Amino acid sequence: MYKKLIILYILFALGCSSKKEEAPRTVPIKASLVTQKTNYKAGDSIRLVFTADQQSENIKLHIKNAFGTLLLPYQKQNDQIVFTLPTNFTRKAGLCFWKLIQENETLLKGNIDIIPMTEKGTNMETYFGPRSITAGDNDYSMLVIAPTDVYDNTVSNSTEVTIKTQFLEKISDIKVATNNLMAWYNVRSPRKSGRVLVTALCNGTTSNELTTIVFPANSTDFKIDAIMDHDFADGNQIIKFKSDKIKDEFGNVVSDGTLVTFMIKNQKDAYLYTVGTTIDGVVEARTLHPAAAAEWNIQAYITGASKSNAINVSFKTAIADYEIYFSKGNRNLDIGPLKSFMKQLVPDGILVQLDIYSSTGEFIETKKTTTKKGVSNIFLSPEYLPDGTYKFIIEAVGIKKEIIKEINGG
Amino acid sequence: MKKKTNTLLILSLIVGLAFHGSAIFFTLESTYDALIHLFFADHYADSWFDPWEYRWYTGFTVQSYPPLVHQVIGILSYIGGLKFGMYTVALIAIVLFITGVYRYTLLMTGSRRIAGYGSVLAVFSSTFVETLHIFGQLPSITALSILLHSMTEIYLWIKTGKIRYYFTTVSMLAVTVTSHHVTPIFGMVFFIAPLMGMAVMDAARERVNSYKELTFKVFINTTIKHVKRIAIFGFSGIFLIVFCIFPYWYNSKRNPITQVAIPHGSRDNFLEITSSGLVFFVIPWGILLFVMPYFFYRFFSKRYIFFGLSFALLTILGTGGTTPIPLLMLGDAAFNILTLDRFTLWATVMALPIFAEFAYRMVEGDIKVLIQEKFGGVFHRVLGGLVAGGMLFMVLFTMTLGYFRPSQPAKINMLPIVNFLGADSHDSWRYLPLGFGDQMAWLSAQTTAMTVDGNYHSARRLPELTTRAIERIENSKFRGVEGIGSLQQFLTVPEKYNLKYIFSNDKFYDPILYYCGWQRLQQLENGIMVWEKLNVPPIPQIMPKEDVPTIMKIMWGIIPISTVLIAFFINIQLIWVRLLKSKKIEPPSFMKLELPYNKFPKKLLYISFVWAFMLLLCLGYGIYLFYVKNVAQYSANNVVEAYYDALDFKEFSTAHSYLDPESNVDIAQYMLEVSVTDGILSSYAKLDSLGIEIYDETPTSAKAKVVTRWITPLESIYSNDYHELVKRKSKWYIKPSKFDNDIPPDQLFTANGTTFYNHGRRKITTQQTYHEDVLKQPVLEILSAKLVKNRGQYSIIGEIQNVDNVPADVVIKATLYNGMNKELANYNAKYHMKHKLMPKETTAFKINFEGIAWSSTKDTLPPTFDPDQFTPVDFDEQPTKFNIQSAGNTANTDLYKHVALQDLEYTNQGFNGVLFNSGVQEVTIPQLIVSYYNKEHELLWVDHKFIPEGVRIQRKQFFNYKPTQLDSLEVINTSLKNCFVNGLPNAAISDKIFPNRDFTHSFDQTQPFKGVGFDYLKFEINSYIGNPK
Repeated sequence: MYKKLIILYILFALGCSSKKEEAPRTVPIKASLVTQKTNYKAGDSIRLVFTADQQSENIKLHIKNAFGTLLLPYQKQNDQIVFTLPTNFTRKAGLCFWKLIQENETLLKGNIDIIPMTEKGTNMETYFGPRSITAGDNDYSMLVIAPTDVYDNTVSNSTEVTIKTQFLEKISDIKVATNNLMAWYNVRSPRKSGRVLVTALCNGTTSNELTTIVFPANSTDFKIDAIMDHDFADGNQIIKFKSDKIKDEFGNVVSDGTLVTFMIKNQKDAYLYTVGTTIDGVVEARTLHPAAAAEWNIQAYITGASKSNAINVSFKTAIADYEIYFSKGNRNLDIGPLKSFMKQLVPDGILVQLDIYSSTGEFIETKKTTTKKGVSNIFLSPEYLPDGTYKFIIEAVGIKKEIIKEINGG
Repeated sequence: MKKKTNTLLILSLIVGLAFHGSAIFFTLESTYDALIHLFFADHYADSWFDPWEYRWYTGFTVQSYPPLVHQVIGILSYIGGLKFGMYTVALIAIVLFITGVYRYTLLMTGSRRIAGYGSVLAVFSSTFVETLHIFGQLPSITALSILLHSMTEIYLWIKTGKIRYYFTTVSMLAVTVTSHHVTPIFGMVFFIAPLMGMAVMDAARERVNSYKELTFKVFINTTIKHVKRIAIFGFSGIFLIVFCIFPYWYNSKRNPITQVAIPHGSRDNFLEITSSGLVFFVIPWGILLFVMPYFFYRFFSKRYIFFGLSFALLTILGTGGTTPIPLLMLGDAAFNILTLDRFTLWATVMALPIFAEFAYRMVEGDIKVLIQEKFGGVFHRVLGGLVAGGMLFMVLFTMTLGYFRPSQPAKINMLPIVNFLGADSHDSWRYLPLGFGDQMAWLSAQTTAMTVDGNYHSARRLPELTTRAIERIENSKFRGVEGIGSLQQFLTVPEKYNLKYIFSNDKFYDPILYYCGWQRLQQLENGIMVWEKLNVPPIPQIMPKEDVPTIMKIMWGIIPISTVLIAFFINIQLIWVRLLKSKKIEPPSFMKLELPYNKFPKKLLYISFVWAFMLLLCLGYGIYLFYVKNVAQYSANNVVEAYYDALDFKEFSTAHSYLDPESNVDIAQYMLEVSVTDGILSSYAKLDSLGIEIYDETPTSAKAKVVTRWITPLESIYSNDYHELVKRKSKWYIKPSKFDNDIPPDQLFTANGTTFYNHGRRKITTQQTYHEDVLKQPVLEILSAKLVKNRGQYSIIGEIQNVDNVPADVVIKATLYNGMNKELANYNAKYHMKHKLMPKETTAFKINFEGIAWSSTKDTLPPTFDPDQFTPVDFDEQPTKFNIQSAGNTANTDLYKHVALQDLEYTNQGFNGVLFNSGVQEVTIPQLIVSYYNKEHELLWVDHKFIPEGVRIQRKQFFNYKPTQLDSLEVINTSLKNCFVNGLPNAAISDKIFPNRDFTHSFDQTQPFKGVGFDYLKFEINSYIGNPK
């Protein structure tokens, strides 16, 4: 126990006994600035010279500007104290504050004004956007110019910048002045679509070419027409819808690729549609002729902006009627030949549907097939449909037929 | 007596190196694991001490796997590249395994002759072939081999207590620990514990005159004598396991594995899932199965009794889910984390000495004598031939399994992908490979670019992955809808992980990429399609990282390699002496325990024969069952199944052979007809389940109703098909269905259209894209937006228009807030919208708030994968407000709009409609987007339907759509106040671009229809083109 206490005591004693050096009191130094010049251009070398009644290594110069803060070490030259500012500081335009300090005390302070070095040339950053605008009276692109000197200091306020714009045959000059770093100009959109080129000039330096596209404004109402090779509802030919040249209110042709929806309302009040995209203002859309007689009412829309006139197209029945032949104990059904409007065989692929019901009216099965060479054939094999009486409902080209037949044998 | 070199050992080393050494060059790279180890090795080669790896899973620590093998490959990669390192390590592992089995057999039997047999059998052991050439588990093999080497040393330490053996033991165990953690842990239980038992048993035997006198009492007494050595060894072992890979344990503690277990074949019921049975039971056991009675007879003799217990345990655990015993023994948690195939591996390796002993007795020992005595010399030779032939067959079968049934996609040339990622700052975003298999690890190893995916599932970090039983997103199609669901989350909200590029090696995923708003960028020289997503910000410069204390990094970097060096220096003298026989050494004590093998019990021989006969019967029955089930035209059911199988695998000539020969459809015609049908079912679907119902069956005919479920990348599709079947000449056939005869009117026709091209960068520079080259974002206008609740689920619906003059790619993100402006959830629009809009085109959109599935533990995993599994976000509070951020980017692809709605009719079955393709591109998957409106033409709901068949050019496609009922729909908030386009308020855009909008245009485009809860409908069509021309 004692041992521990002794050790603790020794440790404590050792901790206390170390002597502390006491700093001698410094006598305040009297210093004065020799350098008289306070205005410099960026990049000039800057030296601050002081005289002092006593020399001390502890004298330092504290400088501070937009670049940062730095302590410059004491440097003696012929009884004078000289501080040379590093280039990082001298190249930065703006106020540079300095303080002559010793230990923690400020002996002198002042500032230097550095202005941009425009003589060595001007650099320019230009921004132009948006890159596309709409023709008319309320859209614009903004050109922003930020000219700087060679050290990337922004030029002084009210430096003149010349802006040139070109649209169609017209080239115009505008003069603007920089304000807080930059100059800007709004290029108003013309009423015609096209391309606006702009450039800027400052202190003899020009920017590169910048551009914005003037797109046409929203479309105005237009006219459509239907084009078809015949007006029969054969379910095979293509009907085309075509518009006239769609333009905006200023007469510009709408931009290529504009989507136009052709709404087709048929006599059963079903809303069908097809779409097309414009090329040089003209849109073309296609769809298939209906398979049964129909009345179509068509109107085209550029949703929200404009619509076309409404047109009516009526399709006549192509196939007036067809025959059904039963054979092989009424198990084999030959439907057709389906003959079209000139008594020609219909093109392949007309849908034929057969619904089979039992004699008591219960639904048994649906069979679907398509025509080939005008006819379609269905065989009801005895493995699947035993002998008996059945009701057949056959539907093709919108014509429904109901037949009751007795099936026997195969 | 001068010791001779063991010729059998030398022979097996030569054969082993020649056989395995040359085969690995054809097998190792297509194994499951080898390339993963290569990726880890690349990490160490690149940054040895820093365990954080950014390239997978948005960052994970490599301290989650013992590093030795990876580090060795990494060091060797400086000599000849990563693959050189891997093959060198594999060759070392082969040598270590063969010599390890030799020494283990020598220890067990005390006979150098039998040990020689053991080394030969090790070369041709099917379990080794499988582990190396199919699984590629290099660390596991290395660790096991060194464990086998250390067994002799452990035995001698326990037996003799010489300090030299203690050091050799410890040094080798340390190497084992640093190469694989599971091997020493379970090795302690299954190998070392019985070994110590045997050592004590041998010591006890020396104290008495015969095994008969060796009573339990004697054994206990001896054990007490040895307990100090056992304890010293035991503590040293535990210390090594903890210390050598301490950072691993530290990491496991900090990041416990909380993820959903991934199903593994070794946990299946092998009788039900025969493929798992084959891979995890039949192949590893191979010919050993026939010798089972002998194993049990020998292992349950007094000397081996502890090995016997361990062997029995391993055998049972290795049966996976076939019996409930493994589950009961391990408990739920361990059963679902461990892969049980390792138990079979250990059991088969443990049995090798006994098998070697059997082989010895069979070839030149007492079994030979007995059989020749009983059945004659010819029988013995035939039997020997059968065993050897069976063994060889298993080896060849295992080796070629990967060739005939490839488990991996064909080898991909990675260079174009690596170059793509390296060029033009493409590695500033994350990428995702799809359909690469385990080769994705090789891609990752070659590039510095990062992926959200990864191939080491224990390290998965993203909640989208850990909450689902998927090992990689890359192969999500094999994980059913669960996998696809996880993939869809990544695709829908890619900006969450800065995911911009996808490399698709499997066109299966193409539709989902398209419908989630991705676009094709280019096809690389190696055939890989690159997809990109617009409007995704690059990865931030500073990424989160989980740092570990410096001491952990140093331990991890230094200890593993040191263990090898130390082990090498400690053992080199022994190896030198043993190999070159430079000095005579005292043979170890176990050499005295060689058995004379002079009388083989007859009973055992008969039992073995009966066992083998039963096995053959089972095998025969299995083959018979397989035949009956799989012979295509044996029954009506089989022919339908075979037909659909053939269709699923696109084997059309096989499918054609099942068609009724009397229907006169020749193969050319059939192929032609099949080739023209395109669509999601025929091109992008994987048959998931097949239900066949045979009815109206007569001896020669039947009808089949086939209910199929197809997994497609978009959703699962149910399809009902009816077939007529006939039996001709005792074979069943399917009657072919009729094909559409429709012919288009024009042979040749013209179409005009506007195409767009975006230069990207006009100046070739490594700088950021110049200001002049940055395109303006196309302006969009949100026309309406609503927060609705339908069937208990919140959705945001609305309509948006591209009001600019260039085509736009549209991304919409919505955020929900409660009354107190607290954010509740956010999500992007998935496929309930058209992502690409032409100028002035509109689209309806719907955003469902999808949560991360099964994220809270109380949600139980559904027993089967539910097709349209959708996990809505769990809202604690009621969302009342929302915010929509939409962004447009100039689009120049996927702008095909030429599908028309040609006919529409309402029947009792819903709307029957006809689509017509009036343009020049074949539409593979058309999608209907259906919007519902109320009487005032206000949007209420948005629904969608994918049409299973494509629309060919100038042709029709029929569809059926049943309108949904909106009886429980509740509109919570309608507002355009917090809607933004490209960061600007929507109202300002509306005022400026469309001050005079005519709203009646939208009204005029809606179909009046009186439904439940709505009055108008609108059909929009979005078309996916599989092969754009």
